[in-house]
Amino acid sequence: MARYLAQRIGQALLVVWLAYTFVFLAVQLLPSDPVTIFLTVDSAVDQAAIDTMKSQYGYDQPLPVQYVHQLLGLFSGDFGYSLASGESVSDRISGVAGSTMVLAGSAFVSAVLIAVLLVAAATLTRSGAARRFLVNLPPLFSAVPVFWLGLVLLELLSIRWGVMSLFPDGSFLSLAVPVLVLAVVVSAPMAQVLLKSMAHVYEQPFIDVLRAKGASRSWIFFRHALKNAAGPALTITGITVGTLLAGSVITETVFARSGLGSVVLQAVTTQDVPLVQGLVLLTATVFVVVNLVVDLLYPLLDPRILKSNRQGSARALAA
Amino acid sequence: MTSRTVSSHNEARLRPVLTRRSLRMTAMLGIAALALTACGSTADTAARQDAASGEPVEGGTLVYAEVTPINNWQTQAARFYEKSNVLNSVLDRLTYFDPEQGELVPWIASEFSANPEATEFTFTIRPGVTFSDGTPLDAEAVKLNLDALGLGIEAAQIQPNVDFAGYASAEVIGEDQVKVTLSSPNANFLRATSSVTAGLVSPATLELDAAGQSAISRISGSGPFVFESEKPDEEVVLAKRAEYAWAPETAANQGDAYLDKVVVKYLPEVAHRAGAVQSGQVDLVRGLQPLDEKTLAGSGNQVLPAEGVDLTANMAAVRIGSGKLADEEVRRALQIGIDRQSIKDTVLSDSYELAASVLNHKAPGFTDLSDELEYQPEEARKLLDAAGWKVGADGIRAKGGVKLEVTVTSSNNSVVIKPAFELIEQQWREIGVKLNNRAGDNTFLATAMPDPNVEFFGTRQFIYGGLGPIFEPANNTMTHTSDPELNAIFAAERAAAPGPERDALLAEEQQALVLDKAYSLVLWDEVQVYGAHSGTHVEFTSGTAPVFQGAWKTGG
Repeated sequence: MARYLAQRIGQALLVVWLAYTFVFLAVQLLPSDPVTIFLTVDSAVDQAAIDTMKSQYGYDQPLPVQYVHQLLGLFSGDFGYSLASGESVSDRISGVAGSTMVLAGSAFVSAVLIAVLLVAAATLTRSGAARRFLVNLPPLFSAVPVFWLGLVLLELLSIRWGVMSLFPDGSFLSLAVPVLVLAVVVSAPMAQVLLKSMAHVYEQPFIDVLRAKGASRSWIFFRHALKNAAGPALTITGITVGTLLAGSVITETVFARSGLGSVVLQAVTTQDVPLVQGLVLLTATVFVVVNLVVDLLYPLLDPRILKSNRQGSARALAA
Repeated sequence: MTSRTVSSHNEARLRPVLTRRSLRMTAMLGIAALALTACGSTADTAARQDAASGEPVEGGTLVYAEVTPINNWQTQAARFYEKSNVLNSVLDRLTYFDPEQGELVPWIASEFSANPEATEFTFTIRPGVTFSDGTPLDAEAVKLNLDALGLGIEAAQIQPNVDFAGYASAEVIGEDQVKVTLSSPNANFLRATSSVTAGLVSPATLELDAAGQSAISRISGSGPFVFESEKPDEEVVLAKRAEYAWAPETAANQGDAYLDKVVVKYLPEVAHRAGAVQSGQVDLVRGLQPLDEKTLAGSGNQVLPAEGVDLTANMAAVRIGSGKLADEEVRRALQIGIDRQSIKDTVLSDSYELAASVLNHKAPGFTDLSDELEYQPEEARKLLDAAGWKVGADGIRAKGGVKLEVTVTSSNNSVVIKPAFELIEQQWREIGVKLNNRAGDNTFLATAMPDPNVEFFGTRQFIYGGLGPIFEPANNTMTHTSDPELNAIFAAERAAAPGPERDALLAEEQQALVLDKAYSLVLWDEVQVYGAHSGTHVEFTSGTAPVFQGAWKTGG
C-alpha cells in the first residue's frame, strides 16, 4: 500500500510541476510581457510607467530567475500579485473559492445521486418504455447547454413567477437552482458510463448465481452490481471535475454569484496574467488531487489492484 | 471600457451520440423556452417617461444593477463604467461638467482659474468639506491628491492619471488655495479635474498600499454616499452621508441624498437586465440591449439613454501598419462607404444618435461634419479606383497583388459593436473591400490591440484630457501612428486659452481626424442605455454615471 501511495503522490506532484512549467512557458509565448499587456488594454501608456511596474512585479528579471523565483514562491503559498487590484493572487482566489466549492461540491453530490438513482431506476424498472425513457435522459442532459438551462430557469422562476431572486440572496432556491443546473450536465457522463458498465456486469455469471439463490432485484443491484460497475464511473467522475469547474464559471455568471467563475472572467477580460496563471495552476491542482483521490479509492473497490499492481495506473486494470 | 458579457460559452464536454428520441426532446424543450420568452414581450408603445419629473421623495433603498463585478476601486483606474458609475457617488471632484450648460462649474473648488499660457491653475477650496473619515478636505488634502494624480504613488505601484500630462507640482497658497504648475501648456487640465478618475480621497487613503487603495471598503471620499458593506463580486452597499452639503453648484439637490441607501448588484447576463427591472427586482440597470428597449418601455417602465459627452464617438480607429490604408484617399473612401443610417435602423435604437464628428454632439467645440459623412458608395468606388485599387474577379479590390482585405478588432464591451461591424462588412463588400470582423473577440483583441497591422480598432474613449492623449503618442493604441501635422494641432489646442481661437483649433482637429486624414471612422455617439423602474427618478453625468445624490424613488 505504501508503495502504491508514494507512486501516486509522486506522479501527482510531477503533474503539478509540469503544469506550472507549461503555464510559465505559455506566458512567455504571449506577444508581450504581462505588465505591458495589462496596461495596454485601455489606451496609450507611457513606456516609463510600464518599466516601473515591470520592475515592481519582477518581470524585468531574466527568465530563469523569474522561473525559480515564482516556483519557490509557490511552495510558500505566494502566487504573485493581481495586476488589476494589487491584491495577492492567493487572497483573491481564496476569498471566493469557498462559494465555488459550495456550488461545485453540492452539484457534484447531486450529480452522483442523479446518476445512481437514474441508473438504478433504469435497471430495476420492469417497464420497457420507462427504461427507454430513462436511458435516453443522460444524452439529453449532456446536450443541454448549462447557460441555456440557467437562463430559462431564471426567466421562469424569477422574472415570470417571482419565486426566486435573480441575485444570490441566501435563500434555498438561490443555491438549489444553480446546483441543479450544474448537476444535470455533470451527471450525464457518470450515468452513461454507469449504465454501460452495469449492462456489462449484468452479463456476468455471478448475477445468474445470485438470482438462482433467490436474491431480490434491488439486493443484487445495490449490494453486488453497483460496486462492480462503479470503477469506470469513478474514473469518469474524476474527469468531470473539468466540466464541474467550467460549468461553475458559466453558472456563476448566469446566476450572478461570486466565485472562481467571476474571477476567471475578470482576470481574462482585464488581461491580468498573474491571476490567470494562478487560476490555471489551481485548476490543474484540483484536477490532480481529485484524480489522486480516485486512484486511492480504487484499491478499496477492488483489492486485486494492490496485489497485481507493479507499475502503471490502476485504471488499466479496472477499465 | 465597460464589460458587458454575453455568456455564450457552450463548454466542450463529453458529447455522446444523440439518439433521435433525445434530439426530438431537446428540440421540443427549446421551442417551449422560446415561446415562453416571446410571450410577455408584447410591446405596445415605446413610451419614454421623464425621469426627473415630480417632487423628490425622501428615503428608500435604490437597487442598481451594474454589468460585471470589479475589485479595483483605485481612483486613477476608474476609466471603466463599472467603477466610475459607483465612485461618482463616493468621490467628489474639484470641478463638475454640467451637460446642460456645456461647461465646467464649481464643486469642491469654489473658484478656479488658469493663466493665459495654460500652465498654471489656481483652485480655491470650498470651506467646511470633510471626508467620510472625518479629515477636512482642505487645500493641503487637495495638494496631496493632485500630486498622487499627477505623479502617481510609487510606493503603492499607482501610475499617474493619463489626463494629468505635464503635471509638475502643486502648492498651497494662503489658507484655501492650491496652485498647480504644469511643465507644458494644457488647457484641458481643468476638464481633467472633473473626471471620476480625478476623484478626491482622504490623505489616509493615499497612504495605503496598492491592495488597500483598490478596496472600496477602505476608500474614504467626501461624496454623498459612503461604503457600508460588500459581498465580494456580488454586492456593494452604500449609505448616504447625512452631513453632505457640497454638491456641484448647478445640482438641483444641494443637500444630502434623498435615498438612504444604494445597493449595487451585478447582472453579467444581458438577457436578464430588462426582466430584472420589469419584475421590480432592480430599480436601475445599465447595459440594456436595443432589442429589449421597446419591451421595457411598453411595460410602463423607463428606457434612459445617458449620453457620453465625456467620450469620443464610437469609432473604428484606423491603423496604417499593414500599408493597405496608408493612403488617406482610401481611408476617406471607407469613411463614406459606411451607411450609418442603416446601422441605426438595423442594430441600434432611438436611444442612439449617429456620430457627426469624433466628438459627442454636446461636447465643447463639437463641429458638425455630418454632411461629409453621408453614404456615397459611388464616390467611394471612384476614390478607390483612383488610388489604384482595382476590383478583381472575386469582387475584392487589389493593388500590386495585395488584396484590400482588412481586419477589425474590439472588445465585447459594447453589445452593439459586433452586429454593427457585420453590417459594415456587407456595406464595404459593395465597394470591393473585404472586412474580417473580429469585433467582440477579446482573445484576438489581446494580440490585435498592440498590433499596428490590424487595420481597425473599434472603440470609444474617455477624453477628459482632450483628443491629444489618445491619438498623439507614437504607441497610441488608436492609430499606432504619430502624425506630426495632427500633433501640431493638438499642441496648439492645448496651449490656446478658451475662446474662439481654441474652438477653431478643436474644429481643425475634428476635420483632420475624421475627414482630411480619416484616422477615425466615426459611427455613433457614445450612449449608455439604462433601464429604470417606473418609480425611479435619476439623471446622469456627462460621463454616463447615474447621479444617486439627486435620485429618488416613488411607489415603494
